[in-house]
Amino acid sequence: MLVKCPHCGTRPVEEFTFNGDASVQRPASNDPKSMDQWFDYVYLRDNPKGRFDEYAHHSSGCRAWLVVTRDTQSHEIFNVVTARDYAKKRVAP
Amino acid sequence: MPEIFQRASPLADIAIQGRFGADHGAPGVTLSVRHPALIVTVIARKGKAKTLAEALKNWRGATVQWAGAEQYFVLDRPFDEVRKKLDGLASCSDQSHGRVIIRIEGPKVRQVLCKGTPVDLHESEFEIGKSVLTQMAHVGVHLTRVERDAFELSVFRGFSESFWEWLTEQAEEFGYQVI
Repeated sequence: MLVKCPHCGTRPVEEFTFNGDASVQRPASNDPKSMDQWFDYVYLRDNPKGRFDEYAHHSSGCRAWLVVTRDTQSHEIFNVVTARDYAKKRVAP
Repeated sequence: MPEIFQRASPLADIAIQGRFGADHGAPGVTLSVRHPALIVTVIARKGKAKTLAEALKNWRGATVQWAGAEQYFVLDRPFDEVRKKLDGLASCSDQSHGRVIIRIEGPKVRQVLCKGTPVDLHESEFEIGKSVLTQMAHVGVHLTRVERDAFELSVFRGFSESFWEWLTEQAEEFGYQVI
């Protein structure tokens, strides 16, 4: 499996450390009333078949956090962006 | 009277000079350790990446190497000078003690290095002055092409001994010398 790092170019997947679903968003509130949201954020994950946004740390390369969009069934990679760009895009509608 | 500490290379007793491995013909590669070395890690402050890149251009006497997104290694300049020059632009930390730079050169240099890294080292792909971060024998390596057939490998000090052993083992079949 090859991942195209935006900083380093195409590298083997062994250079990356994956860290789960990138689509979950941290609740903005610390209010105890938002406990359900926090529970979802900390513990609950979907297990999708198909397209999936996943955090990847280029731990043996440039050490940047990335978001890799891949197919969980075929492992086809559609897109790789930096986690920073991913977060910015999410904030700006 | 203050004590003066002299920084010892972690490879001082390991990188023994001489000719090793295959002993016919000219050595395939020549290895040497750059010691002492001045190494400063420079990481751009928020929003200062472009200004920092400009400031690092044409810095006489310094060697600037890419070391990740908005990060660089500045070699050959003392830490205080680097910090002063880049004040407000970047966070600097002295890595002179923390890293070891191994120089490898010779006609077989690519054959040796490609045993460890998936990075394309061909001349047309990897121009002189280019740096990459990669992994060889499970050790993180900062790799720079410094001349036509010469590369510098920068590894963390603690890994340098086992890395040296791995590297020399790969060079054995071509014959290598340590200078």
